[in-house]
Amino acid sequence: MGVFMIIFASRKVFAQSETGRPDLIQLGAQAIGVVTRESPAIHGQDLTEGYLTQPLVMAQLTPWGELLSLKTTIDFEGATIKRGELNAGIAGEGYIDRRHPHTYLHEILLTSVKRFGMNGPSGISLTVGKGFAPFGTDDPMARPFEKYPINHHLSQILERAVAIGAVRAGSWMFEAGAFNGDEPTGPGDTPNRDRYWDSWSTRASYLPWRQAELQTSYARVKSPENASGGGADQRKQSASIRLEDPQHSGYALFEWSRTADYSGSTRTFTFNSLLAETWAEYDRVNGALRIERTERPDEQRLADEFRAPLPASDLSIAGRSRWTIVSARLAASLFSARSFVAEPFVEIAKARVSPTLKPSGFDPRQFYGSSRIWTVSLGVKVGFDMTHMRMGRYGVAVAEQPGGKMGGMSMKGM
Amino acid sequence: MKLRSLSVQRRSLVPAFALVMLACGSDNPVTPPGTSPALVTLGVGIVADRFTAEINVRGNYAYTTTWGFRTAPGNAVKIWNVTGDTPVLVDSVIVDNVRTLGDIQASDDGQLLVVATEFSPGSIMIYNLADPTKPQLISRYTTPLTDPGVHTAEVQRVNGRLYAFLCIDPASGTPARLVIVDITDPAAPQQVFTAQMGSPFVHDVYVRDGILITALWNEGIKLWDIGGGGLGGSVSNPIPLGSVATVGGEAHNVWWFHNGATGEKRFAFVGQEGSGSVGASSSGDIHVVDVSNFSSPHEVAFYHLDGAGTHNFFVDETRGILYAAYYNGGVRAIDVSGDLSSCDPANKSADGRCDLAKMDRELANGPVDAGPVYIWGVQLSGGHVYASDMLNGIWKMNPVP
Repeated sequence: MGVFMIIFASRKVFAQSETGRPDLIQLGAQAIGVVTRESPAIHGQDLTEGYLTQPLVMAQLTPWGELLSLKTTIDFEGATIKRGELNAGIAGEGYIDRRHPHTYLHEILLTSVKRFGMNGPSGISLTVGKGFAPFGTDDPMARPFEKYPINHHLSQILERAVAIGAVRAGSWMFEAGAFNGDEPTGPGDTPNRDRYWDSWSTRASYLPWRQAELQTSYARVKSPENASGGGADQRKQSASIRLEDPQHSGYALFEWSRTADYSGSTRTFTFNSLLAETWAEYDRVNGALRIERTERPDEQRLADEFRAPLPASDLSIAGRSRWTIVSARLAASLFSARSFVAEPFVEIAKARVSPTLKPSGFDPRQFYGSSRIWTVSLGVKVGFDMTHMRMGRYGVAVAEQPGGKMGGMSMKGM
Repeated sequence: MKLRSLSVQRRSLVPAFALVMLACGSDNPVTPPGTSPALVTLGVGIVADRFTAEINVRGNYAYTTTWGFRTAPGNAVKIWNVTGDTPVLVDSVIVDNVRTLGDIQASDDGQLLVVATEFSPGSIMIYNLADPTKPQLISRYTTPLTDPGVHTAEVQRVNGRLYAFLCIDPASGTPARLVIVDITDPAAPQQVFTAQMGSPFVHDVYVRDGILITALWNEGIKLWDIGGGGLGGSVSNPIPLGSVATVGGEAHNVWWFHNGATGEKRFAFVGQEGSGSVGASSSGDIHVVDVSNFSSPHEVAFYHLDGAGTHNFFVDETRGILYAAYYNGGVRAIDVSGDLSSCDPANKSADGRCDLAKMDRELANGPVDAGPVYIWGVQLSGGHVYASDMLNGIWKMNPVP
């Protein structure tokens, strides 16, 4: 909690403007204290663990309004969940069945926006720095559940050196970006310079009405899991519908994504995901429901069986499993001042897993001790000026009229 | 939630659902063809608790390693009596603190058994084979340079000294490398050479006649003088002779064929290990490289099997038959006698290489009618073909008649 004391102290220095104009400096922070019990977690054994997870500080500096802005997000998970966080079915960056910590420098981007009219949303923007490639849906950190969906590496491309151009014409938004293909290999890792711009993605979004957003995107990523290059390439697709009511008290997301591994021009394996999640708030109570069906590659494990070799020693996989997970969340805002939120919550998830390729080098029932895994999490989320946060879009691709706060449609507690 | 217009919503949903429907596809495994004659199966020694990996047969005994996790981790060396038709398990050795084992090989004099271990920190285990049914650990060689794992360990004698050639996995920020260790004194192995190599992997080597051939994945193969190339190279100072990027890369293993009938040493066979899912699918061809001129090796032919890919192989050099482990395609016996670079135009690929499959050079395959198999390694020994099968254990078959 020492981190929070520092953050709150900062608030006094950088007080926000009340003029209605964009603030010169905006600050936000959040962290979640959570205890998770997973049954079974591994080899028939239950595990109960506690974490301080998703501790981050976000800042946005807009000295020249939209003409030039700086956005940064510092993520302290490398210090707080170094061993990873129990999250049945998730895999990526050398972690498996535990979510990996993100890099300390989660985002740092310069964005310049030029609007076509005085008050309209149309315009163009250029963004450079480290952050999200224009692909897929919002980062799970900016969505209702504390536990990540396991399609994170299918539906988002993050923590890359990016250069993104975006155009918005009325209800249509088009983005294209180049970035480095290599995924981070640890919290302190930075994008490999010799991999800059070897990958690209594009996203088209349509806003049929103010609080709805449809997007489809495509990406080609070079050797994401072998940072030195030479590993399997990926071609990724995503389509989604995001809805939110005007009072910001209800939200829904329907998402499909697919990642196909390629060896040269030959497709080897595909991993599909369908996800639907919804969230609604009534007075101080809010609840959420998520249904996900996602395929993941199964890989060999290290002595720490929640870790996999990174990079793998070849291009093969031990198997591919399909995870069907139903998650529910109930939370209450105990205290909600203008910019401070404290929200205890409970999340319950039931996962069912089965191999999709048979015979397989990985049998979930033999490894976990069951094909059904229950997860219960109890925790408290503390947020400070994070109510307007969306993660994964920049410049004119943020679905909000100019002059708003940190990017996008707003929802308390998310 | 208040939605402005259901009709607008419906119109908006159409393209998204259309995308989902269009995205349906399949990468289900393809069953490899089995049209060639069958290798006669004599017996199988079942391993059900672990996935079986490499095999090495010496005399009346076979040694198999284990891989990954089944109901138990791949930390066991299985010892088999193979004098009868059905291999009989006589004992197992459990290797401490490892997740998976790879290569296993007895030394040419039968005194030592060397086992490669993955993952971090990576090591080789050196056992005394004075009693071939009871390997006794002499030493475990592990250094920072064997981290994060020894993928393969080739044991060969050069100028009277015994060496282990270790192919080390890459790690985050650390490229793959080759480490050569002098194990003439097995109690005190000494590193004599190391170099980063491979793009991104170095998976195996082949050593013969003072020539070292490294399989460097997307860089193909590279030949080195370690005493037989005429450039003054040695095991501690290998000197590059030449290299070739085999078609498709993914160069995994090599066998330099010394034709027993003609004395010719013209061709090297290179195994390509493409993507696969253990037990279900595999990919990758056998590439034939003309190495008659060490400084300019070039690929002249290949063998492709639909629905399966090759792994390790063994050549019956007297009869000119290549026995290739083909994972879900079983064992494939291929006629490699004669001039593999010459064929009718109808049997050539678009890039001019001879296609050994079109030339009907597959002689036999096996085991047949055995259910799913996933063959890792194969060896001809004592007039029989032995194959290690990740799913079933160890097969004993008759060779091509």
